[in-house]
Amino acid sequence: MRRVKTLITASFLTLIFIGLTGCGPSLTTKVKDFPKMYTEKPESILILPPMNETTAAEAKSYYSTTIETPFAYQGYYIFPNELTSEILKQEGIYDSELLYETPLKKFHDYFGADAVLFTTIKKWDVSYAVIASSLTVSIDAEIKSTKTSETLWKYNGTIVQNLSDQNSSGGLAGILVSVIATAINTALADYTKYAQVANARIINSAPYGVYHPNYMKDQNMEIIDQTPAQNNQ
Amino acid sequence: MKIIFKKYTLATIFLSAVFLTGCGTTAIKYDYGDYAESYYSYKKEPGENSLKEWKSAMTEVVSNAKEKDLRVPPGIYANLGYLALKENNNIEAITYFKLEKQTYPQATRFMNNLIQKAEKANGGELS
Repeated sequence: MRRVKTLITASFLTLIFIGLTGCGPSLTTKVKDFPKMYTEKPESILILPPMNETTAAEAKSYYSTTIETPFAYQGYYIFPNELTSEILKQEGIYDSELLYETPLKKFHDYFGADAVLFTTIKKWDVSYAVIASSLTVSIDAEIKSTKTSETLWKYNGTIVQNLSDQNSSGGLAGILVSVIATAINTALADYTKYAQVANARIINSAPYGVYHPNYMKDQNMEIIDQTPAQNNQ
Repeated sequence: MKIIFKKYTLATIFLSAVFLTGCGTTAIKYDYGDYAESYYSYKKEPGENSLKEWKSAMTEVVSNAKEKDLRVPPGIYANLGYLALKENNNIEAITYFKLEKQTYPQATRFMNNLIQKAEKANGGELS
């Protein structure tokens, strides 16, 4: 009888354990998902002009203004965007597919960049519906080595803001968005604020760079695992 | 008793060391000030005024950094150099490009390329 009880208790505990670990998004650590960032240790990142997969033509130039400072605050040397875009324009590769066919080594040769950052604007729009309208900003980001051309880090940040009922959006992101979006009714189209929140989500998953006090100390920092999504691509 | 006490002391010292280093300076010592906002305004409505504001936001970042003993953040000196270059102030541009690479050795190759460009432009102007 006692044995049965023990068995029941044991299986109950196991169930609780499974239940707990199964809850919420699955977590991983920075070093588990992005080990090459810690072995290659890129110090400088050249931010390339974003690829715009949306119909919002202005998104490309607006988004570029939101991405420099968060990466610098994360500890990386970031090449000045205005200046590098100008040079890429002079080379005739700013607005074309050529940019993505350029061997990454060239970015090391001219700029001395250890890595490049590719960003893709997946969504940058408001969808109007009968019951609820929502604003979505979705960004894919990827750091590639200029030495090996390998992907060192990759993450997505998506913000969906319900425009019909601002109070109903849940979670930390909801709070963040509603705090910064007090002027939402008058400035519906100010996507850059949402891009900043999406960026914050993306960048928190990146290892700290050489100028950050926690450089090479954050290997075991927990982040939300996005690798299954990556494998699907 | 003494030994136990010693053990506790050591543990306390060790723990406080862990604790203290754990919550030491975790933020980076930069302040971009109004850089990103003014850059966005400039991209949104390019013109003399927005450019002026972007430039003054950057000179503000530099003076603020000097005042508070912070590192001038990446790209600020380089951008100021670029704006000087556009105004044909080649000597000033070179000074800024040199400051950028002094602050960030990662920028050396790029800055050297720009310095070369500015020197050429200056030579052209003199002749």
